[in-house]
Parts: sequence; structure tokens; C-alpha cells
Amino acid sequence: MIRFGLRLALAGGREALTRLLVIAAAVAIGSGLLLTTLAGVNATNAQLTRYASMYPNASTGDADPLWWSTRQDYFHGEQIVRIDVAATGSTAPTPVGIPSIPGPGEYYASPAFRELLAAHPADQLGDRYPGRDLGTVGPAALTSPDTLLVIAGGSPDQVAELPAAKQVTSVGDAPALPETAVNLILGVIAGGLLFPVLIFIGTATRLSAARREQRFAAMRLVGATPRQIAIVAAVEAAAAAVAGTAVGFGLFYAFRDPLAGIPFTGMPFFPSDMSLGVLDTLLVALGVPAGAAVAAQISLRRVRISPLGVTRRVTPRAPRAYRLIPMVLGVAVLVFALGYRPESSDGQTAIFLPGLLLIMAGLIFAGPWLTMVGARIMARYANRPATLIAARRLADNPKAGFRAISGIMLALFVTSVAVGVITTIVANRGPAPTGSTDAGTVTTVFDEERASVPDTLFAELRAITGVRSATAIRENPVVTNSGEVGVIACTDLPSAYGRCGDGASVIEVPYGLSRWRESASPATVWPAASLTLDELQRLPVGAMVVGTDGSAAAVERTRTVLEVAFPTFWVGPNVPGDFESDFADTLRAWEQLANVIIIASLALGGCSLAVSVIGGLTERRRPFSLLRLSGAPVRVLRRVVALESAVPMLAVAAVAIGMGLLAAHLFLRAQMGYTLIAPEPRFYVIVVVGLAACLGVIASTLPLLERITGPETARSE
Amino acid sequence: MDRDDRRPTGRPAERGAAVSVVIEARDVEFSFGQTPALRGASVAVEAGEILAVMGPSGSGKSTLLHCLAGILVPDSGEILFDGARVHAMVETERSSLRRDRFGFVFQFGQLVPELTAVENVALPLLLSGVRRKQALHKAYDWFARLGLDGLEQRRSGELSGGQAQRVALARGLVAEPQVLFADEPTGALDSLTGEQVMDLLVSAAREQGTTVILVTHEARIAAYADREVMVRDGRVNAPDRIAS
Repeated sequence: MIRFGLRLALAGGREALTRLLVIAAAVAIGSGLLLTTLAGVNATNAQLTRYASMYPNASTGDADPLWWSTRQDYFHGEQIVRIDVAATGSTAPTPVGIPSIPGPGEYYASPAFRELLAAHPADQLGDRYPGRDLGTVGPAALTSPDTLLVIAGGSPDQVAELPAAKQVTSVGDAPALPETAVNLILGVIAGGLLFPVLIFIGTATRLSAARREQRFAAMRLVGATPRQIAIVAAVEAAAAAVAGTAVGFGLFYAFRDPLAGIPFTGMPFFPSDMSLGVLDTLLVALGVPAGAAVAAQISLRRVRISPLGVTRRVTPRAPRAYRLIPMVLGVAVLVFALGYRPESSDGQTAIFLPGLLLIMAGLIFAGPWLTMVGARIMARYANRPATLIAARRLADNPKAGFRAISGIMLALFVTSVAVGVITTIVANRGPAPTGSTDAGTVTTVFDEERASVPDTLFAELRAITGVRSATAIRENPVVTNSGEVGVIACTDLPSAYGRCGDGASVIEVPYGLSRWRESASPATVWPAASLTLDELQRLPVGAMVVGTDGSAAAVERTRTVLEVAFPTFWVGPNVPGDFESDFADTLRAWEQLANVIIIASLALGGCSLAVSVIGGLTERRRPFSLLRLSGAPVRVLRRVVALESAVPMLAVAAVAIGMGLLAAHLFLRAQMGYTLIAPEPRFYVIVVVGLAACLGVIASTLPLLERITGPETARSE
Repeated sequence: MDRDDRRPTGRPAERGAAVSVVIEARDVEFSFGQTPALRGASVAVEAGEILAVMGPSGSGKSTLLHCLAGILVPDSGEILFDGARVHAMVETERSSLRRDRFGFVFQFGQLVPELTAVENVALPLLLSGVRRKQALHKAYDWFARLGLDGLEQRRSGELSGGQAQRVALARGLVAEPQVLFADEPTGALDSLTGEQVMDLLVSAAREQGTTVILVTHEARIAAYADREVMVRDGRVNAPDRIAS
């Protein structure tokens, strides 16, 4: 029977071959995307692992220890990772990615960093990294081809004095990643993208099901048993899926390099990181054909194939309102979190994660009920025949109507939550606006006590074009109500950062001369400190603040001068935008990923819908063609098809985005006290473009409508 | 062969009275690719007349019906309806003619499966822009007339063949068309059910004064007509018989 099934699939004439090719093409696209997703997850994991390996834990062993200190520097808002190393003996381990341990005054640099060094004046960057360039850091040590990394050598005494210095006896053993967070992130990706891919593959195997079922009825007439029919159906579906999966692997490897170059996570992947494990390969190579065979079996259960023909089983039972319960419960959990917020992050995860998962599962579970209610309302008020037919079809089998768009719903929900949360956080904690005082304020906080700052440094800083002020801030000896950690003389306070309270000669200020989450302002009035000017002069210097005009050259020259003067920093001199842009860049990377998921899931949703449309048309080709013969304009039939697909898709998009933003708002209120800020127009543009692409895919099936409902259909069937 | 005993009274155009041709084919030729289907077919049908078009399989009778209904455009020759040159009309004009002036009953599979029976009947009215409430109201009337009471909310899959065909008949006549084209309307039914459908078709058409062009290869069904023509090799033979 298996051989017979294969023969039917491969040598069953032009129609059978066309069907096989179409299903195989659809499965190829689906499995190609599935492989890309799995490889993308692996590549993200590799990026995270390499990033973690830049911050190794101290270790002991037989080898001579290697002193290791990882520090952060910045250039034009980009983070530079600087690793200082010093061997304590000949058996000290060599860091991954370089051939040997650099000695004092030597360094290795990543390719992206070398390009940066070559492209900018030394007084803006190169002077911070004096010494001999030994060569390039290899990909094994880099999170991405764009990573800015310097591995600099020093003497053991020098490196041991650096902040966060530790001794390691082995390298490359990445510390364990925070599993919950990584699993959550990867779960979101998987949920957002894999679901639509799987739905698409499942739907693709239903192509031309009606025709196939008629053939099965003919086989039953000549004596085939239901079991034999089931085997033939499974073999046919699996054969197409095997061919499609093979092509999918080919597509994946053909497009892997260009795909790796797309900064899905904010930075490109190395093509070799977009790899597939044995499990991934087996999962797709065996899982997709097996899944297709199972899908064929399930589809056969929906029809009764007797020797006299194919009959649809009775209209499926209408979904009931209890399907809303999980979604409502999920929202209730998030509302509960508004009033009850556990202290520990584990406790918070224990509330938010189930809440979000309940809503996600609830949306899928409630989808058919929502589709049915919407379709019934549409049918009740429909005056146009197209609306009536479309609404009745959806109301008749809302599960089938919803199936093709369920992936879109999940993806849009996930991405709406992500984009809502990210937009709000970035708006509340994003980098200072260009041209503001904050954007040009370079601060360096000392990790070791300094009695004073040499006057020559002030002179050098003030000589830089664009520098407006240079201020040393001393450590506040008392913990005050205001919580400000620094003190300065009123006469030293640049006017751009505020003024002193009445009668004050010494004031309490933060190290950056502006409070956390507040902008620097001349109107700020700083409280008086209970110190005399003499007492102030005896206090150690805690930080230096240099006000510039915000130009990149002024900021980078200032940074270079400060780093040369104070080379043992842990975090390099920075403007608020550096930290914030680090944070915001990470968030934006996730936002970027969310956008990719939106586009991909909508395109896939469009393909799934197109397959459903084709299936629906094939099932109704005779009544539709006879309607056309009776004078129904083709545009009415086109409208039926468009309404059947577009209305639920648009409704689902609206519900998913609405629920996503609601969940984001509840999360932000409960977790951070923020009120949701509506996503930027870009988000809506991407959604609209994605939906338009989806509608475009559906529209591409419309010529088929005209073709299969022509007069010859009525004549030949 | 006359079936006057079956014919309800009130036939609008008795022989001998002044009659007018409502639809006519003149020297129509039509080919499917290289295969000729009609080779100079001519036929004229009077207002209120029931004409049976008979012929063996492949003779061209359905093609003739499709040409008369404006579904197919003849390669040559003319189709005239109420004096209008159907063969010269563009597709949209022919579609609106079929929608507003013609009705159709086919052999099977013409009901939209998702719609209820009453919605299927109301469909031509909805397509012509009649408001839903009015359309459904008018459709409901037909259920009593055709003995379909209680089946209004059923789907096509829940109707027997005879019931589905009666629903299709109601749909063909609900918009009170001038001409009803019936292509093997009983072809998928047993003889008893077929006769029931034909009784209803004929009486409803007579009641409305609708002209019926009935394609069939069954003499038993053709006997319901006022007149029969025979199509052979793409030509319409001289009338075999005119009802008296």
C-alpha cells in the first residue's frame, strides 16, 4: 500500500504531480523558515555564551593563573570591551581567540575595533590604547563580527590592581547563563515564530484535500479499506513533505550567509553560529514529514469517505463561552500582580510568567469562540451576499477559520507585549536627547581614593574645543537625607547644572551633577552641605564631571584625556547616553527581533490563509461557478474570499495587539510603576505593512478563483 | 407526446393567439478549440413557452443553452433577447442580464453549502441589491409554494436530493425571471422525485408567466414542455412537435 501511495503521488498524472510540487514548495518555505529559526536560536545562544565568557569566574587549577580584568569603555555610544590580562607563569592559559598572551604594552583587537582605530584620530580613540598591536582577535572570542574588543597585556601587578581583577586557570569555560531568562527569551522567540511556521506546514499539507478525498472515495468503491486509504493519504502527504523538507534544507544553507548578516538581535551573527545541532536536524528532517502524515490522518477524520463519495461530517459543535476562561484568568493574574508584588525576582517571575502564558494559551483557546461570535454578528447584519456567505462559512466552522490565523494572533500578542514594554522603558530611561546638557556631560567616577586632581589636567581638558567646564566632585562624608554622594563648592558649580541654595557655600550634588532619571537644568537648586570650604578641600575626589557641547569629537577627546590620566577605571568615562544607549540598544535589539517576528509571522499567516483559501475554493468550485453562470459578478466571489480571510485576520490582529498592550501595561504598572506609552508609529507601520503583505498573498490566489469558477467547471463536473 | 393533462391552466400563450418571441438563436456556431459544438443552430422561444431541448450526449444542447443564456459567446450567429443583441454585449452586461432577467436550475451542486436553504433562495435577490429583510421575506414565500415548509434553516448537506432541487428551483424563480434555464434539472433524481420537481417547475413557471428552456435527454421530462427541439451534431432540427 505504501508503494501504491507513492505511485499515486509521483505518477498520478499532471494534477497529482502539480499538487505534490505545490505542497512540497509550501513545506520547503515552511521548513526553511523553521531551520532558520532554530539556527537563529542557536546563534543567539552562541552570542550569549561568548558574551558571558568575557566575564569569567575566578578559577583554580594546576596551571599558572592568568590575571583577568574585564572593563568597559565607550566610543560614539558603542561599548568597547577591554580585557586586561597578565600571565603569572608559562602555563597560564591563553585567552580564546588569540594565539598568545599579550605582554605589557601589547594588545590584540577585534576586526571591528581595528577599523574604528584606523578611521578616527588618535586623540579621540587611539591614545587610549597605546602599545604594540599584535594582531586580530579571532571569531571564537567575539559575540558578533561587529564586536569591539581589545585584549591588552599588562604586568601581573598592574592587572591585579585593576577593578574586578581575578585569577583564572582555564579559559573558555563560560559561566552558566541565567537559564530562566534565556529560556524565557528563547521561549518567546519560539512561541512567536515557530507556531506560525508549524501552522503553515500543517495547512500546506491540506492543499487540494477535497480532490484527494474524492479520489479516495473512488478507491473505496473498488474495495480499498479505510485503513488502506489512511496509509495512502499518509504516504502521499509524507512524500511531498520529504521533498519539501529536503528543499527547505537547501534553501537554508543557500541563504544562511546573507541571513547571518541581518542584525536580528541588534548585531549580525557569524554564519558559522547559524548552525544546526543533530537534534535540530533530526527534528526537522523526521518531524516535518511525520507531522505531515499525522496532519493528513487528522484531516481524514473530518470527512467520511464512503464508496459513494465524500461527505463532510456534521457541522462541528459550536465553541462555547467557557473558552474565554484561561484568557480572563491570565488577565486576572496580571491585575492581581498590581496589588501584590513579590520582593524576589523569582517570585515576580512566578506571577508574571504564568499570567502571560495563560493569556497566550487563552487567546488560542478563545480564538474559535471569538471568530464564531464575530461571524454570527456579521451574518445577522449582512445585507450583501458576499458578507453573508463569508460570515456563514466562518460561523459554520470557526475552528477552521481561526486555525490559519492563530499563528498571527500569538505572534502579534507576543510582539505587542515586547514592543509596549520596550517603548515605555526606553521612553522613561532612554539616552539624553542630542544637544542637551546631559548628552554632553562626561563623568568618570574613581574606584580608588584620590586626594586631588592636578591642575594640569583641568588645563588640558579646558583646552579641548567644545569643553565648557571641568569639575572635580569630592566624596560626601555623610549619608544625607538627599542621598547625594558628592559635595562641591558653590563657586565650582557650572551654571548649566543648577545653583546653590540661599546662603550655601558648599552643596550636596550627585556625581553626574544631575539626579537619576532627571535632566540637568540651570533651575535646579542644590541643598547646602554642612561643611566649610576648608573641610571640603580635605575630602577625597570621587568623580570628575566635564561639560562639553555634546559634539562627538569633544566627548571622545575628553574621554581620551580622562582615561590617560586615570587608566585604572572599571567603567570608562561616560555620558548618560552611553549607559542608556547600552541598555536601550539591548532593548531595541529585542524590538528589532519583535519586528522580524511580526513580518515573518504575518507573511506565514498569509501563506497559511492562501492555502486555506485555495482549499475552500476547491471545495466550493461548483456552487461558485454556477453562481457565476447565474450572473453573480466575479467581484462578489472575490469579496467572499477576501472577507473570509481578511476579516478574521484583521479582527485577530486588533484583539492580539489590544491584549498585548493591556498585558504590557499591567506588567509595567506592577513591575516598574510606569504607565504604558503607545508604541511608536513604526510599530504600526510594520504591522500594517505585514498585514498588507499578508493580504497580498491572499490576493495572489484570486486569479485562481476566476479560473476554477469558469463555465467549463459547470460543464465538466 | 402532448402532456396537456399535466399542464396547469392559465398558460399565457395559447397556440393561435398573438405570440412574441422572447429569446432566439440565429445560425449560432460555437467551437471548443478545434471541436465544433454548434454548427448553425437556430431556435426561437415564445414568451411563456416551455421548450425542451433534447439530444444525445455531446450533441451540443447544453452549449446551446449556455449561448442562449449569455454564458458563452457564439463564434458567429446571433442571440437575441427581447430584441437586445446578447452576443454583442460585454461580460458585465451579460452577467447583469443573467442576474436580473434569467433564472437557472442545474443538475446538482448549485446551493452554497454554508448558507441556509432560505438564504440560498434569497441569494439572487441579494445579488440584485434587494435588502436582506425583503429578500428573506420573499424567499420564505417559496417554501410553502414548493412544499418545503420547515426546511428553511437547513443547509444543503441536510437536504435530500429532491429537496435541494426544489430549493434550487425556488432560487431560480424567486427573482421572477423572464426566462428560466434548466439544465438537466432532474438528472440526479429518481423518477418519482424528478416528476415532483418538474410538476412544481412547470406550475410555478406558468403561474409567473416565465419562459422555460429545459435541457434534457429524457423524453419523460421533455413531455412536460409545450414544444421540443432536437439538437444533433450541433444543429437544431425542425421542431418534432408543437404542442397543440
